[in-house]
Amino acid sequence: MTPADSRSLILDRISHATQRPGGNTYEHLPRAYTHKGALEPGDCVHLLIERLREYDAVVDTCTVAELPACIAKILQANSKHILVVPPGLDPAWLAAGYDWKIDQDLSHAAIEACDGVVTTAFAAIADSGTIVLHHSAAEGRRALSLLPDWHLCILRASQVVETLPEYFARCTQPPRLATYISGPSATADIEMTRIKGVHGPRFLHVLLVRD
Amino acid sequence: MSHTELDPRLAPPFPQAALPVLRNPQLRKNVAHATDVIQGKRAMLVAEKSDWQELRSAAAAIRAHALENLGTYLTQFEERCTAAGGTVHWAADAAEARRIILDILRAEGASEVIKIKTMTSAEIQLNPALEANGIHAYETDLAELILQLGKDEPSHIVAPALHVNRSQVREIFARSMGRSDLTDDPQALTAAARSYLRQKFLSVPTAISGANFLIAETGSVAVVESEGNGRMCLTLPRTMITLAGIEKVLPRFTDLEVVLQVLARSATGERMNPYTSLWTGVTPGDGPQRFHIVLLDNGRSDILAKKVERQTLRCIRCAACQNTCPVYRQTGGHAYGSVYGGPIGAILTPQLMRMEHAQSLPFASSLCGACYEVCPVKINIPEVLIELRTQVVDREREQPVRVFDAMYVGMRAASGIFAAARRFRSAQRLGRIALLPFTGKDGWIRSLPGLGARWTATRDLRGMPGQSFREWWAERKDNQQQ
Repeated sequence: MTPADSRSLILDRISHATQRPGGNTYEHLPRAYTHKGALEPGDCVHLLIERLREYDAVVDTCTVAELPACIAKILQANSKHILVVPPGLDPAWLAAGYDWKIDQDLSHAAIEACDGVVTTAFAAIADSGTIVLHHSAAEGRRALSLLPDWHLCILRASQVVETLPEYFARCTQPPRLATYISGPSATADIEMTRIKGVHGPRFLHVLLVRD
Repeated sequence: MSHTELDPRLAPPFPQAALPVLRNPQLRKNVAHATDVIQGKRAMLVAEKSDWQELRSAAAAIRAHALENLGTYLTQFEERCTAAGGTVHWAADAAEARRIILDILRAEGASEVIKIKTMTSAEIQLNPALEANGIHAYETDLAELILQLGKDEPSHIVAPALHVNRSQVREIFARSMGRSDLTDDPQALTAAARSYLRQKFLSVPTAISGANFLIAETGSVAVVESEGNGRMCLTLPRTMITLAGIEKVLPRFTDLEVVLQVLARSATGERMNPYTSLWTGVTPGDGPQRFHIVLLDNGRSDILAKKVERQTLRCIRCAACQNTCPVYRQTGGHAYGSVYGGPIGAILTPQLMRMEHAQSLPFASSLCGACYEVCPVKINIPEVLIELRTQVVDREREQPVRVFDAMYVGMRAASGIFAAARRFRSAQRLGRIALLPFTGKDGWIRSLPGLGARWTATRDLRGMPGQSFREWWAERKDNQQQ
C-alpha cells in the first residue's frame, strides 16, 4: 500500500466514523474556568518569586537602572566568566571583564563549553512559576538556554501574568517555537524522589527587573 | 524482574498474569509507594485549584470536539505543518508506521537514534524493529533508560519504571555502564544517566519522539517532559521524527491553556511540568532542519466510530487512573500485558486489538469508579468497561462450544426464572433449602461445589436469609390486620 492510499483510507474511516452530526461548535465549548487572576501586580510578582524559589531557582530583583551592574554582580558571585548570549540581547548589559560569546551560529560544543547563558523571556506565569521563551532574538535559539548548566533569565515585572490563560491572551499570534520552563530540569523516576538537574540546565537564576 | 514481553497478542489472561506480581512483595511495595506519592501530590494541587471542575469540563469538551471533527483538524494540521517545512506521513497500522520510520532512517543513513519517551513507539514495538535493522535506539528518559538497560518493560504511562527501586537501578547501571562505584543514592544514579547520555545528545543526528498534542491551527507539536532529555532530542539533532496517534490533535493553540493545566497536576502532581516544548515544522537556524511526523491510526478510527467507546480517545495519558486504581495498585502494569495498563489500558488495549486479544482486561476492574473521578478529561471508564464486557460475553456466548457451558446454561435458566415472579419465588424457596447444608453457623457460605466454587474460591457468600423481603412484608401486613 502506498502512503497516499493510507492517507485516504484513514481519512475515509474518520469521516465515516464522525458522520453523525452533533456536539458543540468550537465557539460554544464551555470555558468557565478562571481566565484572569485576582492578584494585584505587586502580589503577582511576589507569587512568582515564591514559586520559583520552591523550585530551587535563585531570584534577584533590581531596577532598570541597576540592571547592568546587577548582572555583573550575579556573574561574579556565581563565578561565571564565559557567557553565551543571544544576538538580540541589549549590548549595554554585557559588563566588561567577562568573556561574552555572542551566538552567531556557534557550534553545540562551543555553547556547551560556556559557564552559562544570559537571555530574556517572553513572559512568566506566577501561578505555576513558569518562564516562557518564544525564542526571539533576545531570548535566543533553543540550544542556547539548554546546553549551558547555568541559565540567567532577565525578566521584566510587566511581563509577569498570574494565570496560564492570561499568558495565552497576551499571545497576539501563536509562536512558531516556544519553551515553557517551570524550574530547573528534574526527575522523580527513581522512587519518586525529586532530583534536580538531569539533562537541562541544573541552575536557573532569575533576575526580575521592576519596570 | 524477568523480561516480560508486552504484546497483547501473546500475553496471558489478566488473572494469570497478575499472579506472579501478587507473589512479589518487593514489586508491590515499589508500586504502592510510587502511586501513593503521586496521588498525595495530585490531591494537594487539585485541592488548591478552585476552578478544577471547570477545567475538567473544558478539557473534556475540547477533546470531544476535536474527535467529532477529527478529519477537519487532522487535514488542517497536515496543511499547516507541511507549509512550515514538515513532512506528514500517514500510517494505517503499526507495521506501516514501523516501515515509514525505517525508510526515513535508511535515507538518513542512521545507525543510531536518540529517543524521547513515547508510549506510542512501544505500542508499535518500534525498538525491536530498529534493532533487527541494525539501528540502535537510545532511550533518553531516565525511566526508559532504566528499563532498556535492565531489559524490562514499562509498567506505568508516566513513570514507566516505578516498579523498580533504587537498589535495583544501581545494579542495572553498575552492570550495563560498567560503574561498580555507583551508590544507590538517586542523585548519584541520575548523574550517572546524565553523563552516560550527554555525548549521545551531542553526536547522534537523528531523534524520535512522541507527541502530547498536535495543534491544528498552527501545525505545531507539543511535548511535555521533566528532565530536558526531550529538549535535547528536539533541538540538537539534524533530523526529527515524531510518531503521534491521530487522536492527539487540538483545534487551537489557546486550547493548551486548559490541557496543560490539567495534565501536569494529574500526571505528576506539579503545577506545571518542568519543560514543555512547542515547535512548528522546521525553523531556519534553530533545531532540526528535517522534520517528519507519522500520524498513526492502528485501530483508533474504529474506536472513533463507536458511540460509548469513542471517549477512550480523549485520553491525554496522565495516568491518574492508574495511580488511583485499587487493581493496578496491587498488580502494577505488567499484568495488563500491554504498554497501556491500569483502567485506561483495560479499555484502550482490547479496542486497539479490535477485541481480538486482551479480552480479559475489561474484567480487571472492580468498577469502583475512582478512575472516572480523577480523569482530567472525564472519560467514563466504568461505562466503557461495561460496554466492552458486554461485547466479550456476547461474542463468547455465540460460540458453539459454549452452548453446554455450565455458566451459560445457568444464566439462561436464571433469565427464565427472573422473568416471572412465581418462578422467582419458588427458586428462592428451593435455593434456601439447597444452600442450607453449605451455610455455616454464622450465616456465611465458605465453599460451594461445582459452578458455585468459582465464587467461593476467592470470597465468602452470605447464606440465604430465612425470609425474603416480600415474605416479611406479607407477614407483617397479615399481623397488622389481625
